[in-house]
Amino acid sequence: MTAQATPRKPAIPKQALAAKAFHWVNLVTLFAMMGSGLQIYNANPVFGGRAGYHFPDFLLLGGWLAGGRHWHFFFMWVFGLNLLWYGLYVFFTRRWKNRYVGKNDLEALQKSTNPKRRNYAVHRLVYTAFIPVLLLALLTGLGMWKPVQFGWIVAMFGGWQALRTVHFLTIPTVLGLMAVHSLLALNVGQWKLVRSMFT
Amino acid sequence: MSHFLRIGRRRLIGLGGMSLLLAACGRGSVQTQIEQKLFELSDPLNRSFEQLLFSSQRLAPEFQRKDIEPEALLINTAEDFPPQIDPGAYRLTVGGLVEKPVSLSLEEIRKLPYRSEIIRHVCVEGWAAIVQWGGLPLVELLKFVQPKPEARYVFFRSAEGFRNSQGELYGFYETWDLASCVHPQTVMAYEKNFKPLPANNGAPVRLASPIKLGYKQIKWVSEIMLLAALPEQLGYWVDFGYEWYGGV
Repeated sequence: MTAQATPRKPAIPKQALAAKAFHWVNLVTLFAMMGSGLQIYNANPVFGGRAGYHFPDFLLLGGWLAGGRHWHFFFMWVFGLNLLWYGLYVFFTRRWKNRYVGKNDLEALQKSTNPKRRNYAVHRLVYTAFIPVLLLALLTGLGMWKPVQFGWIVAMFGGWQALRTVHFLTIPTVLGLMAVHSLLALNVGQWKLVRSMFT
Repeated sequence: MSHFLRIGRRRLIGLGGMSLLLAACGRGSVQTQIEQKLFELSDPLNRSFEQLLFSSQRLAPEFQRKDIEPEALLINTAEDFPPQIDPGAYRLTVGGLVEKPVSLSLEEIRKLPYRSEIIRHVCVEGWAAIVQWGGLPLVELLKFVQPKPEARYVFFRSAEGFRNSQGELYGFYETWDLASCVHPQTVMAYEKNFKPLPANNGAPVRLASPIKLGYKQIKWVSEIMLLAALPEQLGYWVDFGYEWYGGV
């Protein structure tokens, strides 16, 4: 036995390759979708129409409306298929059982006096919230792309303007979640946790 | 359409606007090349997917008269003023791969079957408007001229020979797949919101349909030609870089 060994280094968190791949693709894709989405937005702003606020050029992808659409309608496949395969992976590896927010987290949020446990629960709640928001972006986008085939999506949101508004609002929501997710990851596991998800 | 295209043309030539992702790459020309590549990769996929979803039998939602949004239907015209066509002298010619080519006056068009529909008009810019179109269903016109079996596409010509305020000649054109043309809600409209079609909206006759984006719905149609294959010139906006299928 080597009981006199040097003090143990804190463990470097390990992430599954699939989780890393998903994170990379999702991050790049979301920025491509947001940049090209704002390009399309500027053609006729959701708020105020042509007289409304236009986003500055440096936030836009695609150079002009058709270009923005080319980016958007390419990356929608990457975005959607990335969500699909990761969803299947999470399902079949049973990660869904303990990797996402659960009853225990909600209980911890209400009762726990341990700040670390509470932080951990908040973080799990926040990254779980990505799932409905990303699916909502996909659903509202599908409704706008194919309102004839998916008329029920338009009807579900009560009309075209509401559908457009919700689709647009997924941008600030995703950006907010990204910020909180990153900050909480730093808080929970410092830089090494964030790094472990991308390298 | 002047709004989005004029920006588009200027930007396309000027290659302006660096993007968030490509800021490090520097020039916008790199972005234009990437954007073109992405389009070449995804457009055939998108078109197949859209055609897979499409059915000539599935009707787009229709609305009530009270739902019409007269102010929401923006005028998007490439030229600074619309061509002024004398309705008395107007002729719509239909030819190409058909058994019975015809040339119809507005009066004759009005005597053919009529359809009124209150539908959602969706623009490539992202806005939409509930509008009523009234006119001759294109499928009825096609039945009338009897397409030959090899006809697969339909070419529309519009406002040929008119001049803009600078005195420059202009004309528009568009091509559609036959399946979209025989959709029951695709009409050669001469009526908007229960009134005669205004010049800005394409008088005397325009193509109107809830199943295609606005830029595919060509105004001031003067000639229809059935083709076996797509011509080199696909459409006024399409040739600037917008997708050809443009299904909704």
